[in-house]
Amino acid sequence: MSDIPWEQVDAVIARWAPRGRAGLLPCLEEVQSITGWLSPEVSRRIAEGLKVPLADVFGVITFYGLLYDRPVGRFVVRVCDDVSCFINGSREIVDACRSYLGVEPGETTPDGLFTLETHPCLGRCERAPFMMVNELEFGPITPQDVPRILEEVRKSGAGQEEEGV
Amino acid sequence: MNTSVLLQRVGQVDPTRLEDYVAHGGFDALRRALLRRPEKVVEEVKASGLVGRGGAAFPTGVKWEAVARESRTPKYVVCNADESEPGTFKDRVLMEGDPFAVLEGMAIAAYATGASEGYIYVRGEYARAYTLLRSAVDQATQAGFLGDAILGSDFSFHVHIYRGAGAYVCGEETALFESIEGKRGQPRQKPPFPTTHGLFGQPTVINNVETLANVPPLILNGAEWFRSLGPEEAPGPKLFSVSGAVNKPGVYEATMDVTLRELIEEYAGGVRDGGKVQAVLVGGAAGTFVGPKDLDVPMSFSGLRRVGASPGSGAVMVVDERVNMWDVLLRIARFFAHESCGKCYPCRLGTQRQLEIVTRMASGALRYKDFLRLQDLHATMRDASLCGLGQTAGNAIISGLKVMGMGMSDD
Ligand SMILES: Cc1cc2nc3c(=O)[nH]c(=O)nc-3n(C[C@H](O)[C@H](O)[C@H](O)COP(=O)(O)O)c2cc1C
Ligand code: SF4
Ligand code: FES
Repeated sequence: MSDIPWEQVDAVIARWAPRGRAGLLPCLEEVQSITGWLSPEVSRRIAEGLKVPLADVFGVITFYGLLYDRPVGRFVVRVCDDVSCFINGSREIVDACRSYLGVEPGETTPDGLFTLETHPCLGRCERAPFMMVNELEFGPITPQDVPRILEEVRKSGAGQEEEGV
Repeated sequence: MNTSVLLQRVGQVDPTRLEDYVAHGGFDALRRALLRRPEKVVEEVKASGLVGRGGAAFPTGVKWEAVARESRTPKYVVCNADESEPGTFKDRVLMEGDPFAVLEGMAIAAYATGASEGYIYVRGEYARAYTLLRSAVDQATQAGFLGDAILGSDFSFHVHIYRGAGAYVCGEETALFESIEGKRGQPRQKPPFPTTHGLFGQPTVINNVETLANVPPLILNGAEWFRSLGPEEAPGPKLFSVSGAVNKPGVYEATMDVTLRELIEEYAGGVRDGGKVQAVLVGGAAGTFVGPKDLDVPMSFSGLRRVGASPGSGAVMVVDERVNMWDVLLRIARFFAHESCGKCYPCRLGTQRQLEIVTRMASGALRYKDFLRLQDLHATMRDASLCGLGQTAGNAIISGLKVMGMGMSDD
């Protein structure tokens, strides 16, 4: 985890630096897609490159649900547990993920592969119950689909954003 | 009334190809707009009676006129594509199915108001919409529909795309500006309003995706045509996101005189397994529960007002009798407690207290005092919160309890 591809990270920072602070959010998003999460040393590099106070960079990272200031799995499993998905059985989907992965929502598997999250409405209510793995979309699904989906994801090593890691 | 204006190309054209959009009438409206003076375009939008589709229902033409009047430049047009209101997915369907229409609406807004830069702020979880819009902007710029000297005129307009990062409150217009500016996405005190002090402190038009998608057909067919669709108070086509316990969940287009019953029974194929409606959440988590006795109200502002609701984002979430309403209310209370940005006390503390009380009630401990506390919280958050998130955080809880027969008198 500690070998950060600095060359790639610096290239992203250099691209956003001319926008200064208005480049911060897209820069954080892009860097995270390379590094998986925004560690203090990565954050410092971004703060320096964009000339934004480090405290403000931390402030922004902690504000947003999709930015992580701690390591997460290579695959983030987001199960929608909001009203329409709940009505269509999201609780059973969450349970199927918990039992397949052996972790609770908010936790990461010991091999660092999967993080499980329950999520407010993901905006795909017509496909309820719905879940995402990184940017892949699955729904409507049944609890029986869950092991197959997660197994396939594991095998494919998918995660379109993970190139070069 | 059933219409097919906003969805006419969705599923019919290849959203990755500009040629397809153009072959289906795309950018004709922009061409037509460019032949007129900007004031005339603003006038047409004003005369159409189009009101914003993002939830607040502000007259679009009035907003544009205010920005057009500002002399400070640069001015901005911002497309609010953050769509995070639970139960709402119509903007996603538009962006995924007809992305160029959103760009055309933005370009017309920019021409009408004298804006030179555009921003689209897309919800972070909408990867496909983002990719399609990205490609649409590139193609439209290459072809001269965006960028410098558009279609040979002296009008220039450049579009940037930002991705949100998972915060509901960033759909609030001023929080969205803060977010683009690289800050924590917390709402600003209003006034000043975006029309004078918006993105980067400059005059800004901010409109919802669906509002902007209404603009090209409105310009092509004229204000009179637009006004002929649906009720006087809110004319034009409207998208409804219908989901929950229905047979055919999806996005449906109709005028705003359509009733809740028609949306559920005719458009969405009725309640699943032949069941019965227990409650319908209209307008998402920020919205209001309507009971089974009130399904014949029209989805217009005046219609829904009769039952204490409003159309909001056009979300319709159907709860059938199989579902335990406490589980539903618990999710809504959790949502607000989680999404409150913490900038002001009534909402920061109120949404936490509300969650504690609803959790207690959901576990079976019903105390009269808790009902009173919830009512008090609702009134305090509504009256004293800085932004719409806090102001609406108690709506669904209070109205949900009413539908469950735990009615409390109105204050
Ligand atoms: C908490 C909160 C969330 C909002 N989320 C959205 C949203 O996701 N999309 C949207 O278009 N408007 C949203 N709005 C409304 C915007 O503040 C604003 O009214 C709207 O973008 C204006 O566009 P319109 O006039 O075209 O509707 C939200 C408002 C609040 C208070
Ligand atoms: S009402 Fe809530 S979300 Fe809005 S500014 Fe106050 S704390 Fe933030
Ligand atoms: S409620 Fe699950 S996607 Fe909307």
